[in-house]
Amino acid sequence: MPRASHPHAMQPRNPGSTRTAPPQMSPKFPMQGRYRAYTLFDWTGLIYLLLGFLALRVVWALGTGQEAWNVVMDQFQSPVYIGFHVLSLISVIFVGVRFFSFFPKAQPPRIGPVKPPPQPVILAGLYAAWIGVTLVMTLILTGVLF
Amino acid sequence: MSEPQKKKIVITRFDPDQDEVPKTQEYEIPVQPDWKVLDALNFIKDEVDGSLSHRWSCRMAVCGSCGMMVDGEPKLTCKEALSDYGDTVEIAPLANFPIVRDLVVDLDGFMDKFKSVKPWIIRAKERAVEEGPMRQSPEELEEFKQFSMCINCMLCYSACPVVANEPEFIGPAAIALGHRYNTDSRDEGAAERNEIFRGEGTVFSCSFANECSEVCPKHVDPAAAVNQAKFNAVIDWAQGLILPRGGK
Amino acid sequence: MKHLLLKLEPIIWLLFGQGILLGTLLLTGWVLVVGVLAPLGITPLLSFSDAHELAATLIGRVVLAALIALPLWKGAHHLRHVFIDLGGADRDATVAPLLYLIALAGSVAGVLAVIRL
Repeated sequence: MPRASHPHAMQPRNPGSTRTAPPQMSPKFPMQGRYRAYTLFDWTGLIYLLLGFLALRVVWALGTGQEAWNVVMDQFQSPVYIGFHVLSLISVIFVGVRFFSFFPKAQPPRIGPVKPPPQPVILAGLYAAWIGVTLVMTLILTGVLF
Repeated sequence: MSEPQKKKIVITRFDPDQDEVPKTQEYEIPVQPDWKVLDALNFIKDEVDGSLSHRWSCRMAVCGSCGMMVDGEPKLTCKEALSDYGDTVEIAPLANFPIVRDLVVDLDGFMDKFKSVKPWIIRAKERAVEEGPMRQSPEELEEFKQFSMCINCMLCYSACPVVANEPEFIGPAAIALGHRYNTDSRDEGAAERNEIFRGEGTVFSCSFANECSEVCPKHVDPAAAVNQAKFNAVIDWAQGLILPRGGK
Repeated sequence: MKHLLLKLEPIIWLLFGQGILLGTLLLTGWVLVVGVLAPLGITPLLSFSDAHELAATLIGRVVLAALIALPLWKGAHHLRHVFIDLGGADRDATVAPLLYLIALAGSVAGVLAVIRL
């Protein structure tokens, strides 16, 4: 059974006198067909929120001292944290791939006098930046750079 | 000679004078290999059950009136080959719209949204006829042409989860149309429309499901238009902060 | 509240957009090393003193502040969509400010965290 849309969805400002049946959503919403990727994309919001707070915890510990840092790093070795971070990594890559595929067409044809580059060039730039930043971040964090 | 193939067509029925809620009715009909989904509906209406109500007109994916849910997807029924579907095909009225009768939905809410974006060329000063036509280069036309190909079939509204859940949202086709005029080199109404885009039915409600573009039979790509409109609405908003516009 | 939310939508959208764009760019390597490879012992991780020295540079502070704050805005905004998609649009005027306040509080804490490095 399809889920009901909001009862006022697509209602006219001045409804006519004929009684209408309330609007229904697509029976595929939220987890069938293409909606699944959309719904999961939105749910990655929870992962990003938690990642933001975990990053805060790491940086806060870094500012507090060696002991606090060790506590966080020890916790990160627990299977629960590793499991969450593996799920997060998959989520972040999923978000990147989906968002970058949409990003080029969301650019207006002109921003004032400036024309953005063609869509394939934007897409290539995004992937180059993604790979580049990830590589630099990885090399820094593992102590290879600096 | 072999028997003609048969298909079961399951149709949503609703009679506002008798039914509390919509129900489904099944029709087993002989079908021809070259039929579109609309042909099956017309066969039922003409040969089996004259009480069935559905909209259609041009039969060539131009008028935009025969949009329905076919096996749960918003489709133009005149464009869909019946042979692409299984032995049972479910046909329901467009999702997210109030249902008037059977497969007929109420269009007035869409028309309200459509008008709200001022879909016409706005000029600061009306151009006199003697001044001649306003010229536009092919490059300028190319910037918005795609967004002017909409046939108002409303499949995008049917697919959009934001339309379903946020009644005030202006919605894909109307925003694409407003954006089409904002991008038109002859138009001077962008500031006015950007204010509408930041108002009650805000473009920022769009969650970029991209479903509108997936189901669009004319490849208008409303999701591109809506998200370009967000970008422009932000730039316009930022400009308004730096250089406040008088009088409003 | 609804009116205020509408006024703030452009800023929220900008922060959300950067949360996806820059957030994703920064988080991929961060989660890979800090969350997965180093805890599993596959790669080393910067020592505390090296990490502190690097993080306390101007670039280090800016990057870390972005790494904390931007994903929070992406998260808050997407969770708002989740809530609306679950049928909660009529309570959006209460839920959305709450989510954004969480993101704001985390962002302020993130700025504090990089200042005290």
